[in-house]
Amino acid sequence: MKKIGGVIISHGQVANELLAAAETVVGELKHIAAVSIGWHDDVETAKNEVARAIKKVSEGNGVLLLTDMFGGTPTNISAMFLEHNDIEIVTGVNLPMVIKIASQNKEMTLSEMAQAVESQGKQSIYRASELLMPQKLKKDA
Amino acid sequence: MLKGRVIIINRLGLHARAAAQLVRLASGFKSKIKLIRTDSAVIADAKSILNVLTLAAAKGVELEIEIEGDDEQEAFEAVQDIFKNGFGEL
Repeated sequence: MKKIGGVIISHGQVANELLAAAETVVGELKHIAAVSIGWHDDVETAKNEVARAIKKVSEGNGVLLLTDMFGGTPTNISAMFLEHNDIEIVTGVNLPMVIKIASQNKEMTLSEMAQAVESQGKQSIYRASELLMPQKLKKDA
Repeated sequence: MLKGRVIIINRLGLHARAAAQLVRLASGFKSKIKLIRTDSAVIADAKSILNVLTLAAAKGVELEIEIEGDDEQEAFEAVQDIFKNGFGEL
């Protein structure tokens, strides 16, 4: 089965640490790479690093770029790759999104994976007290 | 279909790495494996880690296991064992 590749791209070390956390949970992830863009890195250098990472994880079925924040440099640099058909970007990366792309058990198209990762990311945000202590919320109301 | 109840006994509860262990085990069986919190009826597919984590099952929480399929007997025993062993963290 060909997997969709993933590249996590962030300001600072967030990308590396998100990948490390995901690997602690689910094991080694050869189809996912991380690119941490330094605050003072040159745009061309950063773009080349993203290109290298895309090449490394691509299995021929497309690569999903997961960036930290829409409008930030990591997203803007990633957007330079959008003209390629086999690249999609989802912004606002969180750990459940990385775990979603990590655990692929059936072949999906890049667009399906992008949608699945986007909705997983949104669904994984909880106000924990709503689930764990509904009685507390009633008191607040 | 086989049904049974287990209680989370390890101190950290069904946290991410424990959930990953359970999912790896469950994914090795053909049967459908469901976990249901008995206090809130939240249901999770034991083969999806992100789903299992939504149970937010801390130490002391009781879960009902429901297993259905060709290998339900072996799956049932294996899943019960992993809970009884506290995911190897006792």
